[in-house]
Amino acid sequence: MDNTITSQQMNPFDKLLDKLCLTPVGLLGLVLLFALPYIPPFNQEYMLRWLIYCGFIAAMSVGFDLTAGYISIVNFGYAAVSGFGGYTSALLVINMGLSPWLAMAAGGITAGFMGLIIGMISLRLRGIFAACLSWFFGLAIMGLATKMVWLTRGPLGLRTPRLFETDSNAPFYFLMVILLFLIYLACKLIVRSKMGLAFQAIGQNMDAARASGINPVYYRVFNFTVSCAIAGILGGFYAHFYGILTPDVMHTSKTVEVLAVAYIGGRGSLWGGAVIAFPFIFIMEIVRSTLSNLPGLNLVIYSLVLILVMIYYPGGFSYFYDTHIRKPKNKVLRYFLNGRK
Amino acid sequence: MIVLETSNLTKKFGGLTAVNDVSMTLNQGDVMGLIGPNGAGKTTFINAISGLNPPTSGSVKMFGDDTTRLTPEKMCRLGLSRTFQIPSPFPKMTAIETVMTATIFGNESGKVKDPVDHSREMLDFVEFPMAETVVAEQLNTVQLKRLDLARALASNPRLLFMDELASGLSEGELNDIMRIINKISKKGISILMIEHIMQLIMAVCNRLLCIQFGTKIAEGLTQEVANDPKVTKAYLG
Ligand SMILES: Nc1ncnc2c1ncn2[C@@H]1O[C@H](COP(=O)(O)OP(=O)(O)OP(=O)(O)O)[C@@H](O)[C@H]1O
Ligand SMILES: [Mg+2]
Repeated sequence: MDNTITSQQMNPFDKLLDKLCLTPVGLLGLVLLFALPYIPPFNQEYMLRWLIYCGFIAAMSVGFDLTAGYISIVNFGYAAVSGFGGYTSALLVINMGLSPWLAMAAGGITAGFMGLIIGMISLRLRGIFAACLSWFFGLAIMGLATKMVWLTRGPLGLRTPRLFETDSNAPFYFLMVILLFLIYLACKLIVRSKMGLAFQAIGQNMDAARASGINPVYYRVFNFTVSCAIAGILGGFYAHFYGILTPDVMHTSKTVEVLAVAYIGGRGSLWGGAVIAFPFIFIMEIVRSTLSNLPGLNLVIYSLVLILVMIYYPGGFSYFYDTHIRKPKNKVLRYFLNGRK
Repeated sequence: MIVLETSNLTKKFGGLTAVNDVSMTLNQGDVMGLIGPNGAGKTTFINAISGLNPPTSGSVKMFGDDTTRLTPEKMCRLGLSRTFQIPSPFPKMTAIETVMTATIFGNESGKVKDPVDHSREMLDFVEFPMAETVVAEQLNTVQLKRLDLARALASNPRLLFMDELASGLSEGELNDIMRIINKISKKGISILMIEHIMQLIMAVCNRLLCIQFGTKIAEGLTQEVANDPKVTKAYLG
């Protein structure tokens, strides 16, 4: 909807940027992410680990926002679905000797299937009820992972082979950034197509959407499937990065972490959460490591920030950006922030 | 030609019978007014036909086919559009995007060559007073009703329901709406409109259907129904 200028008028660079759903400033941000491991103090291994976690939450928030920000359903089982993908992937590697790369993809597919099921059974439900259902679903999956000790070793944790046979965190970090970008691109291309219009319509007014000829079943189930498949792939990455998987990854508090980042970043923007995750989660990791005698403090901070944002700035960072930063007078700056549009 | 026909249509909400055994017919080219006191069941009646809230019993025939209990999206594709009493289109969408949804999803794919162009035409047609890039949540009720009408027209309906399109309008705006309704009718779209404003009803409707407590009390030519003692009594209480 937003490309009003026909693509013939654009030079190849702008065309490419547009295809990649990036603005010049977005591209710069991406380059910066790739350069970060070479810039002190971020070149230290423990900082890289934090950054990988930032990237993980960033990518999760993009997938989460596809559902929360577009069809207006909060999937409280998101972390559980992600963990389900992670366990699937880990178990395939451990028990069947599959390569972790293939297993990650398989984790994505099974998690997508899980999303399909959640999407189907929550179809008749609106907003908060669908959210509750996805939450219960998530709790059930987590319960299974905890209780099926013979398969998952329960709370003892599952040792999982890593994606790269190295002590360095750098390859994991680069992979994470690539994954983040690909996930962003996939979601953005979907919402740019006419499907995005259908998502927004059923998310904003179900009755008017249906009266306009939109079949909500198809779009809702599709949305859940894609969003959960993304969570599953990321769950696989998580499993094969940390090398240990416990049912904790499925906990609702993980979903809340993702939700907080997505909302603070700005619902329905896709990029807001991805951008905010890096400073925000990074600071949270610092807080967690320096105040390790106060476990749970990070959750308190999440809640506080979330409440403040919800009350004073419900549009989140992306809304702030769109209203106050995106439209400067200066032409060059304007191009830098918007691209050729 | 009969465009719409309901037979013994009934809608119950628990113990409350909101629509009771209503049979009516609407002919091609009709501009039929659906009148009745507040809470009579008018909105419930069109919701039951358009699929938003399917009837408890009875049947609906549209363009000669049985369409009882079809979903709203199916009814839309078959050529029925409707506006809402409380116009709340898509709050975060721009005017043009709002209309685009019905343009894209309300028509068979490929039928509309240029969706943006078509949507613009619809906004022009209803004389939408704002820029097409305005976000719906910034509009007032009167503007929203126009936008909702443009959205409803975008799927190229053959039959249009309008739910209190004119409530809250000033004298001047009433004349605009009258002209727009006549334009719609001229396009060959049959109309069933819920309305309270007698001035508008008398000016544009050729037939009236009056319901009270969910039951039909009169159906016929505008003058006849308007002068029917049962109808005047229903209104005066
Ligand atoms: N979803 C619902 N559940 C229960 N009762 C309902 C529902 N919708 C409408 N009703 C009831 O059905 C009756 C008819 O309501 P309806 O909205 O159809 O009236 P109306 O003729 O459109 O009135 P108005 O002129 O005020 O719009 C009312 O008593 C109303 O309270
Ligand atoms: Mg009503």
